[in-house]
Amino acid sequence: MQCDKTTAKTKVECHMKYVAKNRSSFIQKIRDFFVHADFLEVETPIMTPIPGMEPHLTPFESRLNFPSVSNSKTADLPVYLNTSPELQMKKLLGSPEGFDKIFNITKVFRNGEMDGPLHNPEFTMIEWYRKNADYKDLMKDCENLILELVRINRLKTIGADETQNNLAVSQTAAPQIPSLTYQSETINLSTPWPRFTTNELFIKYCGLDLLENQEFATFKKNAEAKNLDTNGCENWDDIYFKIFLNNIEPELTKLNQPIFIYDYPASQAALAKKSSSNQFFAERFELYIKGIELANAFSELTDSKEQLARLLEEQNLRKTMGKTILPIDEEFLSALEAITTPTAGIALGLDRLIMLLLDKKSIEEVLLFPMNKMAK
Amino acid sequence: MSSTTDLKQGLTILHKGNPWLIAVAQFVNPGKGSAFTRAKLRQLKTGQVVEHTFKSGEAVELVDVVRTKCQYLYNDGENFNFMDNESYEQFSLDKEAIGDSTKYLVENTECYAMYIDGIPVSIQVPPKMTFKVISAPPGYKGDTATGGSKDATIETGATIKVPLFIEEGDLIMVNTAEGNYVSKG
Repeated sequence: MQCDKTTAKTKVECHMKYVAKNRSSFIQKIRDFFVHADFLEVETPIMTPIPGMEPHLTPFESRLNFPSVSNSKTADLPVYLNTSPELQMKKLLGSPEGFDKIFNITKVFRNGEMDGPLHNPEFTMIEWYRKNADYKDLMKDCENLILELVRINRLKTIGADETQNNLAVSQTAAPQIPSLTYQSETINLSTPWPRFTTNELFIKYCGLDLLENQEFATFKKNAEAKNLDTNGCENWDDIYFKIFLNNIEPELTKLNQPIFIYDYPASQAALAKKSSSNQFFAERFELYIKGIELANAFSELTDSKEQLARLLEEQNLRKTMGKTILPIDEEFLSALEAITTPTAGIALGLDRLIMLLLDKKSIEEVLLFPMNKMAK
Repeated sequence: MSSTTDLKQGLTILHKGNPWLIAVAQFVNPGKGSAFTRAKLRQLKTGQVVEHTFKSGEAVELVDVVRTKCQYLYNDGENFNFMDNESYEQFSLDKEAIGDSTKYLVENTECYAMYIDGIPVSIQVPPKMTFKVISAPPGYKGDTATGGSKDATIETGATIKVPLFIEEGDLIMVNTAEGNYVSKG
């Protein structure tokens, strides 16, 4: 059926076709990008008996039924929808078969995340890992991937919304300064994109050095002395986040460049390697564009003993929070032991990236069947 | 005065010594078990709009606000005049007290009057309202091959971003808390 400009009903169909064509084209280009860089595409299960442990994530839970051999009753096993393909991908990295550079474009599921324009409980994640690399190599991957998609988006005309009064499609050659227009603002994509450590941001916007505020009580006292709101905060991370959300993130939203925030407090990076320069921080970064968190990356922690200790800590935290206690994945721990070279990995939200590329304000505008709409 | 830990759109809270209406409340989950609520707050007396993020479970004081239906009558050049639909009493508010809602006031619009201690302090317009588009110049594509949007002027004179297919004379539904287009009316 052709898109017809005259009726409201077909507007919806035109929109769906526009979204479908663009998603298909971007996903194709993303595959090309990684395959061209010698990455192997891998598939990981969506349903798993052991999902990730992150205390702030809530997996969807179900039970797997199977006939039991020993008696006539049906046995069952708890299973979960994956919140991230991380554990399985690291098992591949640790396998003796030598997976060095792998990527995955997969669905992930997070329960309880359905508020606002940036969340859908089911979304698509691009996750990739590199051996013999650290998180700074992944920053370059992000720059290259996104620049490539922006360049292609500029050149192509497919899916040009047939409902609009098309004037000339600009024929301009690649511009001098690569840029992206998002919600009427021009984002300068010239590389390298600015990088700030979390501590630099706290010093710059709040006058607080995290290294001098490693204890909850000191942090609270010094934050309050600077008139920063710490109401309701029960631990160090609460204060960190409350200040970040109220006093730092709004400043980042104003910047018209993508930014990498790196070296997070180790307490917020359970699967990341601690920074060699200061053990208080871990080698993790997040990529933000116009205040939208797009990607999260680590230099991977490959010390299985330390990993076990951190997982036990997270398991404990889940217990105190009243969340489902999840098992520790032994296979994952032994896979880590087999990873002998420095390795870095990253997860990038595909739907949010498409939202930026297509200049859409919310994630539901780039999904064919957003859950938000169904729940309303 | 009571307090709550459940921050929701439409509540009026005491924040930094002043009454603020929660215009938008959104859940944020930055990680590590901490959940927060990001709120867009409108100060009832001055119309000032700020964003603030609250820790989930943080107690905030509620302001007792009485809401009654009212009708917008006219703008006398300085103030906006309303009639309380229960008492038939008229009252006027300046544009600061009404804030962004001035963009959505058409004569005879039904809205809510908000009283603190018996004094009208502000009004609240319905969350979704339908307006006639009085001007919507054709949009054109810039340098991105996107679905795109353009500016349309509605009958109150306010400008709303709309999809390119909206034309003059169309009715459109607007989300008044966010100030954005919802659907074709």
